[in-house]
Amino acid sequence: MIDLQIAEILLFPGLTFFVWIGFLFDWLERKTQARMQGRRGPIMAGPYGILQPVADFFKLASKEEIIPEVADKFIFLFGPPLFFAAPAIGTIFIPVLGPHAIVNNEFDLLFVLFILAFTALMATMLGYAAGGRWSIISVGRLVVQYTGYEVPLIVALVTPAVLAHNLSIDGIVAAQQNLWFIVRAPLSFIVFIVATLAELEKPPFDIPNATTEIVGGWMTEFSGRPLGYIKVTKDLSYAFLSALAVSLFLGGPLGPVLFTNPTLQSLLYFAYFLVKLFAVGFLIFTIKTALARIKIGQAVRFFWMVITPLSLIQLGLAMAVGW
Amino acid sequence: MVVGGPVLIVIADVIIYLLLGKLGKRSSGTGSKYQPFTGGEEDIAPRGLYQSELFVFATLFMVVEAFVLLLAGSFASPTNYYPLLFLMGGGGVILLVTWWLMIVGGVKF
Repeated sequence: MIDLQIAEILLFPGLTFFVWIGFLFDWLERKTQARMQGRRGPIMAGPYGILQPVADFFKLASKEEIIPEVADKFIFLFGPPLFFAAPAIGTIFIPVLGPHAIVNNEFDLLFVLFILAFTALMATMLGYAAGGRWSIISVGRLVVQYTGYEVPLIVALVTPAVLAHNLSIDGIVAAQQNLWFIVRAPLSFIVFIVATLAELEKPPFDIPNATTEIVGGWMTEFSGRPLGYIKVTKDLSYAFLSALAVSLFLGGPLGPVLFTNPTLQSLLYFAYFLVKLFAVGFLIFTIKTALARIKIGQAVRFFWMVITPLSLIQLGLAMAVGW
Repeated sequence: MVVGGPVLIVIADVIIYLLLGKLGKRSSGTGSKYQPFTGGEEDIAPRGLYQSELFVFATLFMVVEAFVLLLAGSFASPTNYYPLLFLMGGGGVILLVTWWLMIVGGVKF
């Protein structure tokens, strides 16, 4: 029994599955962006270039790791696996094959919120450990942006918990059996998607790694395996946050029950989950591709003046009238 | 598995990271190859220290936010085990990281 659970955590539907979803998101994002810009995108590695993110990862992993003189060497080298661990741990709390996740307890939403805070903090730490001037500028932007989007992100995540009267992701999914929370709390869903763009440093909130201004942002000094790990972590975070949106607002893997056989029904749940996951992922990278970068001041003002009030209005409605 | 699951993932993650380290070469030292990227400018940037009050505010914001979140969640708890675990584990990690950031960053209150 424990062996099976270990396999579930490390392979399917846990870590490895979500890493592959992350690679797939990366490829789809590049393909979508290329199509919208009149290009072809990745075509070389695998059919339609589908293995390009995997090839990129192994290429980076096999390159030389250069540690700058000014870097804090320990954090510089061993920060990337810790950065990866945060969203990786989050994946085990997401229900994929049915109404229950691999690991669940009555407070797992809190744990997920901590993971989101820790991911941003680790990015800050990695950039500061690198020590270069572009990294330091980027870290300043990253932290300022964080203070803007974190409050609405938390409020948007807490709203489904209020509607479900439950702090567990399983409980929130179960509460959406009849009606998805995207219908009852549409503003929270919008706020979550906007905050997700900021958390992932995607346009229009790619201010911390604005290539034309600060080179590679906080990742400028990284190379080889650490850079490969950072890029995989970003893909994994992409998959994880999309999966979180599916669980909290789109009913997770739940949908019409068509089979009495539990295995077949489990496969159907998995299919529902994948369709919803890719719908959210596609929404995020379409928005990302369509918008241009804004300034840090504009981003923070936008979050505090527009997004935070929207999230609080929806939370207030959820608490007052359950809607 | 609530505690074992995350621990298992961290262990697997570190093992894979170390194994991948066998694929490429690692180097550190002195000389132009190891200087931080300047973007074509002549002067080499020293390790920057932040003195910005906004930066300090933001890092403290992270710590306070994590603690408030965890404490708020603990009120509805039927047992003290998980809220305490999250508070000590999560809050502790964030606090340690923030201390590191502030000490290395040369913060001045």
